[in-house]
Amino acid sequence: MEILKIEETKYTPEIVLDPSGTISLKGKSYPENTFEFYAPVMKWMEEYFAESPADTTVINMEIIYFNSSSSKLFFDFFDLLEENAEENTVEINWIYDEENESAEEAGEDFIEDFEDLNIKLVQK
Amino acid sequence: MDIHENKLVGEIEKLREEFVKTTEKLIKDVKRQDKIMLRSDKRQQQEYDELQKKFGEVEALQKEIEDTQKEVVFTMGAIGESRSKETGNHVKRVAEYSYLFAKYYGLAEEECEMLKQASPMHDIGKVAIPDSVLNKPGRFNEEERAIMDTHAQLGYDMLKHSNRSLLKAAATVAYEHHEKWDGTGYPNKLAGEDIHIYGRITALADVFDALGSDRVYKKAWDDEKIFKLFKEERAKHFDPKLIDIFFDNLDQFLEIRDSLKDTIED
Repeated sequence: MEILKIEETKYTPEIVLDPSGTISLKGKSYPENTFEFYAPVMKWMEEYFAESPADTTVINMEIIYFNSSSSKLFFDFFDLLEENAEENTVEINWIYDEENESAEEAGEDFIEDFEDLNIKLVQK
Repeated sequence: MDIHENKLVGEIEKLREEFVKTTEKLIKDVKRQDKIMLRSDKRQQQEYDELQKKFGEVEALQKEIEDTQKEVVFTMGAIGESRSKETGNHVKRVAEYSYLFAKYYGLAEEECEMLKQASPMHDIGKVAIPDSVLNKPGRFNEEERAIMDTHAQLGYDMLKHSNRSLLKAAATVAYEHHEKWDGTGYPNKLAGEDIHIYGRITALADVFDALGSDRVYKKAWDDEKIFKLFKEERAKHFDPKLIDIFFDNLDQFLEIRDSLKDTIED
């Protein structure tokens, strides 16, 4: 599998999907069409788990601002991770700034919703 | 019969299983949506509050900038005034007259307000006129008069580099307030509507105030004498439309003059 890299824009985060097992999303997320924007990311993730996942997959998410459809998308993203977490080791770091209350709360929501996932809240 | 029944039951049970699975997923999704909405509403409220606060700050800053600009401009006008033979509330009255002329001429409110602020700077160029000329008692000779007349160009040169609309307006006022409608003014002998409306208005406002005020070197003209001159100079020195505005709204001009009378110590 090849690395998928999406450059950061005013409305979308920088995304690096590395088949060696490091996945990172960093920046803001309020695209005009959220599901369309993330479609290649979801597709890559499905293929990654189906084909050749690394021993440990580390997901670093540092999303400082996001719209509600991104919020929904992240739930879907975590669903996908949860489906694959039984057979694979998946570690998720939800990184947020101390002053960013919404990001912290979103992280707490994910932990609450995905009991089987290993999500760590990481304060910067 | 039993087998048939069992098969049916089996299918129904399978259906129920699917149904339960689907409804559970739906319930989960709905709960998630609710959570997202709740968070989103909360965040929107925070963002709105934050925006309102920022807007307030921006507005306060904007006002601070505008007030500072007004004060600087007014101070510059006062500096110009200190170098001219006009005294007291001259620049304030010129400002108010200019506003009134601009309003009745049909300029937009922002323009009227801008001219009101810019017109007091019409004599700013006099700061660059040598004291020996400026303070000379009695009449100027030809050479001195020529030096005095450079104050229009000098004022323009001081202000022309600015990109600020207010200072640009002030530059125009300084440059053109001695032009005359019939093309006999200075520095460029512009005529008619080639003279910017700001210049035409300030010219009339300035002369009206100068003639009607007592000065160390002259008594104030009485109103009839001023009115007679204005009628004679209609379409000569002054824009005829402005002269008409003046007479049509005379009460309001005289009201400004009364309310901003020079005090005794002036």
